[in-house]
Amino acid sequence: MSRVAMLIDESICMGCRGCQVACKQWNDLPAEQTTQRGTYENPPDLSASTWTRVRFSEIDQGDSMQWLFLTQGCFHCGKPACVEVCPTGALKQDPELGIVTVQQDLCNGCGYCTQFCPFGIPRLDTEVLSGEGKAFKCNFCQDRLSNGLIPACVKTCPAGAFHFGDREAMLAEGKARVEELKQGGFPNANLYGEYEMGGLGRLYVLKERPSLYGLPENPQYPVLANLWQDVLQPLGTLAFGAAALGVLGFFFVSRRNIKMEEVE
Amino acid sequence: MIGNRVRAVQEADDAGAIRIRWIPKYSAMERIFHWGHTVTFLMLAMTGMILFFPLLRPLARGDGGQLIRLTHRGAAIAYGALPLIYLILEPRRAWMSLKSVFRVGRYDIEWVKGMIPYYMFGRHEAMAPQDRFNTGEKLNAAVIILGSVVFAFTGLLMWFGKGFLPIGVFQTMVVLHDLAMIVTVCMFIVHLYLAVVHPLMWAGLVSMRFGVTSAAYAQEHHALWYYGPERAKEIYESQKNEGQAK
Repeated sequence: MSRVAMLIDESICMGCRGCQVACKQWNDLPAEQTTQRGTYENPPDLSASTWTRVRFSEIDQGDSMQWLFLTQGCFHCGKPACVEVCPTGALKQDPELGIVTVQQDLCNGCGYCTQFCPFGIPRLDTEVLSGEGKAFKCNFCQDRLSNGLIPACVKTCPAGAFHFGDREAMLAEGKARVEELKQGGFPNANLYGEYEMGGLGRLYVLKERPSLYGLPENPQYPVLANLWQDVLQPLGTLAFGAAALGVLGFFFVSRRNIKMEEVE
Repeated sequence: MIGNRVRAVQEADDAGAIRIRWIPKYSAMERIFHWGHTVTFLMLAMTGMILFFPLLRPLARGDGGQLIRLTHRGAAIAYGALPLIYLILEPRRAWMSLKSVFRVGRYDIEWVKGMIPYYMFGRHEAMAPQDRFNTGEKLNAAVIILGSVVFAFTGLLMWFGKGFLPIGVFQTMVVLHDLAMIVTVCMFIVHLYLAVVHPLMWAGLVSMRFGVTSAAYAQEHHALWYYGPERAKEIYESQKNEGQAK
């Protein structure tokens, strides 16, 4: 099988949050105690026990208002920074399907993935003082996929906003839908995720600019992750090796030249 | 140079043994602080590198990895607290040492010039008179002190700032923490060699263990401290002239 993707048509989403519930149910995640914040959006953010969530954005447009829904979750990037910086190998990218998963028994809770993801998706369930914890995020229902099922959120969506399958097919479907929206009175309609971060595994059909949905317009692979992994780590090895070798060379030369009987 | 050395040699001849006149160099507090810092530094370096080098990946995994991160934090508290405790216990001596570590003078430049001829080829006249800490020890102390400040600042921000700090700031802290690690560990390798292995510096380990150093060693390695600036300069000039005459 080739790389898979989830296509979410946000012009169809009605904000029912069925995906949220299905995700919790399938992955056996507990509900969260929350408070009324004057919005239908709930819970307030992704967390270690909320891997997908509908974000409600209220956009004032003169005398009318746009209510935009966005189903947040892991983007399963083509070039995932979290996998690169993970010091344990708990985060992996499936070489076939391209999905990015966390293996909790390998995770040591360092949280680098939460700090290097340009979308802020992985969440840590952690004790601040001791730092013990694990990272959690959407894994595209890896267990369902490997048994020939589609992810729980896709299966449950009553509006049919979710599509799942071969990434090329999803891209084609998304592009066709964007054209349809453009002709139907949404000139800003666009497909999000075709090229970002090596091509995303979560594609959005959006009615408006991504920033109105709270998405980064142009997400970038973190430069410091490259600096850290590709420059500093080899540099460290090299520097330690050079210091040790230098000292060793020094040892042999000085041993020949310095006569112990002259030493004070 | 002459006084002690000649007498020591004569007496040794008489007794058939080498007699060394010991003079105090490091206080007990200084030594406890030094070794405490050494142990915690090594613990921090070893546990930290497990998250740094991909080769050590298996050790970073799962519950073992959590234990390693916890050890790193515990050792970090000790590493940060030790110098503060030392500052409180011996403020005047600590201040004196700090001042001398960050004071750079003419003899430091000459030390750098004479470093290779002296330490590698044993040419004694190349060595400019040194204070209680020689230029190399000062360099080591300065790198470790400044490195520790970077470690503490970046480490605390990573410990308590996760989630609050913008991710760009956190990422910068990771990179700075690792850079400081590379610099200080390289310094440590060199310091370990000079203090423990190098034949000319045999008294270094002794003085850090027992607090005393041989007078003859101090005359050669720490003339500025042993004789005071004027006498040290006189001896140095005359040695240099002798060296040139040869």
